[in-house]
Amino acid sequence: MLPNDPHLTDRDLILAADGELAPRREAAVRAHLETCWPCRVREAELQSTIAEYVRWHRGNLGAQLPPAAGPRALLKAQLEARAASAAPAGWLRALVPMTAALLILSAGVWVAQTRRSNDLLVPKNSVTPGETRAVTISNLCRESVSEGARAVPVSLRKKVFEEYGITDARPNAYEVDYLITPELGGVDSIRNLWPQPYSTVWNAHVKDMLEERLHALVCSGQVDLATAQREIATDWIGAYKKYFHTARPL
Amino acid sequence: MVQRIFNMASAPQDSALQLPALPRTETAVNGSRASRIEEDVVALFDRFRSPLFRYLLAFRVGAPDAEEIVQEVFLALFRHLREGKSRVNLQGWIFRVGHNLALKRRLRAQRETAAPAEASADWSPGPETQAAEQQRYRRLQAVFRALPEQDQCCLSLRAEGLRYREIADVLGVSLGTVANSMERSLARLNRADRCGEGSWETSRRTYVAK
Repeated sequence: MLPNDPHLTDRDLILAADGELAPRREAAVRAHLETCWPCRVREAELQSTIAEYVRWHRGNLGAQLPPAAGPRALLKAQLEARAASAAPAGWLRALVPMTAALLILSAGVWVAQTRRSNDLLVPKNSVTPGETRAVTISNLCRESVSEGARAVPVSLRKKVFEEYGITDARPNAYEVDYLITPELGGVDSIRNLWPQPYSTVWNAHVKDMLEERLHALVCSGQVDLATAQREIATDWIGAYKKYFHTARPL
Repeated sequence: MVQRIFNMASAPQDSALQLPALPRTETAVNGSRASRIEEDVVALFDRFRSPLFRYLLAFRVGAPDAEEIVQEVFLALFRHLREGKSRVNLQGWIFRVGHNLALKRRLRAQRETAAPAEASADWSPGPETQAAEQQRYRRLQAVFRALPEQDQCCLSLRAEGLRYREIADVLGVSLGTVANSMERSLARLNRADRCGEGSWETSRRTYVAK
């Protein structure tokens, strides 16, 4: 309790709520709370704040948790490799490390691929800052996004992969995508193309949806072209969240 | 209710946290013992991977680094158990090792880049969330990020279910420091939470004056 103040301190309320007070002190605090409405109200406010904080903590950080299956498999493989030193004798002694090594290798490849895919959610600004051409709205809006879609030349695709240091790309794992889509005035240039993975949550298909939405918004006059170009070039994921009013891809 | 909320988020001291001791005789140190330890470690991974990951993210470790630290922690746990070391309060052990690994990694990153690692994602509420709630969360986020790092760590660890003594062990500080930190942090969060309705201090003065 505060000096010259019959009421409980914040510290008393928090420690009591967290079960951190000595039993005698806790009993005194509980007894006070039974009779004191103002202190009960303050306790309720603290409870409400903690509830809000826990909800924020879990919502904010929980949304960033990647799936556990891959890391779990990697851990198991590494544990098996370490446990192999105490494995039974005979042919199993040779088999267990080999199996574990294979598992580690495959899990390692999975982790490396996942990490690289996550690294490529957005392009490197130094390589792909985005590039546009002079264009009018009426020209842009004459055709739909799908009508305007065209394949990136093989030589240019190869150059993009080289720029990003990808030498082992499976053909279907990435879309060599325009940062600023041609339907928003983007050009066929190494400065406007990057290998966008299909395997991530924020993948090439999701960006395609954003491109269609922005094209429609520009053509209906709801968003000006320069804004659309800037937003898709600087933070396409943020733009998606903004225009689809969602924290995750639909 | 404070207690109930934290208890919901917490992992009470139970058999999974305090594993039964394994025999340490020469014959017991064999494949089956290692296999049993392996199962224990995987079970603990299943239980604590998410809480530890969230804590590391709150500690401003990026998700890829956090994933690697989590792996290192559970491999270290395997070594710890295989050497027959203490099985008491493994929850606290896991967070302590994770915290120390995150600190090391941050120091290395600072040496290499002269800039601390920064968690990338901001909380983005779903469309179903009410506007007032979004504003409240943004305020909480801003206040949380403005807290001293030690206070952020204390709050995050408490939200993941650690008791004050365990938090003190993880961070290498005294019990009193943890209590002070909780008091300070909750007071700031409370003021932010009450923002718009009048500050908590104001309301308290009003109640006390009556």
